[in-house]
Amino acid sequence: MNKKIPNFVFTNQFGLLCLVVIFVIIFSTVTDGFTSRFNIFALSRVVAIDIMIGLAMMVVILTGGLNLALGAIGVCAAMFGGWCMETMGIPVIPSIFLILGMGSFLGWVNGMITVKTGVHSFIVTLATMSIYFGLMTMLTEAEAFRRLPESFTDFGSMKLFNKYVSPLLLLSLATCCVLFYLFKYTDIGRKLIAAGANPDAAELSGISVNHMFIYCHMLSGFLGAIAAIMLTTRIGAAIPSMAGQLGMDWLLPAFLAPVIGGTLLSGGKLSVFGTMLGAILVTLITNGLYLIDVGEFWIRFFLGIILLIAVLLDKTREFFTLKSVIVS
Amino acid sequence: MNITKSSLLKKDWFGLLIVVLLSGTFIAVLKPAFLSSFNLYVLMVSVSYMLIIALAQMIIIAIGQMNLSVGAIGGLVAISFSGVMEVYQVSVPMAICIGLVIGIGCGFLNGYITVKSGISAFIITLATLYIFKGINLGITEAEPFYKIPETVKNFGNAKIGESPIPYLIIIPIIITFLMWVFMNRTETGRHMLAYGNSVQSAELIGISSSRVVITAHVISGLLAAIAGMLVVCRLQLGTPNIGDSWLLPSFAAPVIGGAILAGGKVDVIATALGVLIVAIISQALVIFKIDPFFVQIFLGVMILLAVFVNRYREYKQEAGRKIFNND
Repeated sequence: MNKKIPNFVFTNQFGLLCLVVIFVIIFSTVTDGFTSRFNIFALSRVVAIDIMIGLAMMVVILTGGLNLALGAIGVCAAMFGGWCMETMGIPVIPSIFLILGMGSFLGWVNGMITVKTGVHSFIVTLATMSIYFGLMTMLTEAEAFRRLPESFTDFGSMKLFNKYVSPLLLLSLATCCVLFYLFKYTDIGRKLIAAGANPDAAELSGISVNHMFIYCHMLSGFLGAIAAIMLTTRIGAAIPSMAGQLGMDWLLPAFLAPVIGGTLLSGGKLSVFGTMLGAILVTLITNGLYLIDVGEFWIRFFLGIILLIAVLLDKTREFFTLKSVIVS
Repeated sequence: MNITKSSLLKKDWFGLLIVVLLSGTFIAVLKPAFLSSFNLYVLMVSVSYMLIIALAQMIIIAIGQMNLSVGAIGGLVAISFSGVMEVYQVSVPMAICIGLVIGIGCGFLNGYITVKSGISAFIITLATLYIFKGINLGITEAEPFYKIPETVKNFGNAKIGESPIPYLIIIPIIITFLMWVFMNRTETGRHMLAYGNSVQSAELIGISSSRVVITAHVISGLLAAIAGMLVVCRLQLGTPNIGDSWLLPSFAAPVIGGAILAGGKVDVIATALGVLIVAIISQALVIFKIDPFFVQIFLGVMILLAVFVNRYREYKQEAGRKIFNND
């Protein structure tokens, strides 16, 4: 490899960073409200949750699988938390641990079924998605928990740094750093990647691939539960419909961020900061489109187009970087 | 092909047929209302479009891919079909043609991008799902079209003579038959299964992968379009949320019918029986006055159960093959 040109320039993250900067410049010149304190604060809260959702999907994509039940897990965890705090009167801190435990448990169930049956996680999580969501609606009778402790909901409306940034964003960035450390420098993180990249080779070199896959699903449930907590503090209530029908509203941000960020769908390659930048880019564009006033109903259309362009660009970039490596 | 007892047992659809008959009899004995003509009518109506939705997904599963945009295509066609009739006063046959063309176009787009980009169909159809749904919402602004011509409404309500059989079910039955012929008796159909089984081997024996993939997606789009229009006939209006809830049932029936998601193995009759099982049991839950949310849980449990059963059968077959090899 030619070391004179920094490799960083060829990476996906660098391209994403450029795109983020370009869009910030475009939107702040074209629209009025983009750089207002209110908009940036709102943006930081939305971005924080989208990053979490993206990371939660990313860790399952690492295994070459998918987690369609992510939204359902999130809603279940949030409703469980609402029940703990409102009905059972459990204090906030233990409740948060219970919520995280719930998310991890639901993820564990996904992982166990996937590993034990050997069926693709798409079909398993499609089934568990409807089971989790159905159970949740039956147990809660589709009633929201609206009287949550104030110490819990205040976190979502707190403002930092001259009232520009929500603490939720800091939490997401911290999670990114932890995950980056996990996958880059720890033994278990490397094993997770190895298991995703080539399960047979990993198995032969003494890694229990099944355990690793279950860990990935648990981690996904755990991160999904964090996203659910963040969403609950932002809304100020735990509502069964907060992620749409069957929790499917989370699916687009969940796939957009990792795929734009350069995570391979076939597994074994992931980029924590790419996912973060992907989530930022998507939120930025959505927000900008709202401000330009393209009409609420066309937003989905543009998000679909963006996903399509992103994957096609990624394919071309791969093609050119491969060529440059071969030429040099 | 001589049909013996053991060859019947090996068929995917045979076990399902027994499940259908047993569950039907069981429910009918406990609740005779199940066999009332009104109930049978409702059952057949729900089977009619679910059958086409399941086949639209099945043909993509056959080539080892997934089509998340089946519902979005159905929804887009449904509102275009009702929209052109309400806004531009287009005649019914013309509106049907427009609907079919949109469905074929959407399917072609899915297939073409998948083939040309080499990106997994999952991601492409996830993107087109939002594109089609976005166009749908952009056009309708979430408002339904109410003015559906009487002929369309009558078709949606009519029964054949005095029997409880709805007119709506005729088209799905014809399509199921055509699909069976297509998958089992035509060259393109067999090529699709070969492609789903092993992309490399299929290409080595000279099967054009782009042709197979695009054809499969076009048929899927066409079927989704037909399903969308049938739902308009049934509901008597074109709402933008048609197709939103198709994802789960579209996978449930082929998987219950023993389809392997990796591709290469699907069975039209077993898929149809899968649709029937889901419909009968959903109906039973209504008759027994069980919480409607339970239907959702039940559908999920059915998929998992089917997965376990398929796994067990594969395991049995592998064990059988090993013994054969040892001899």
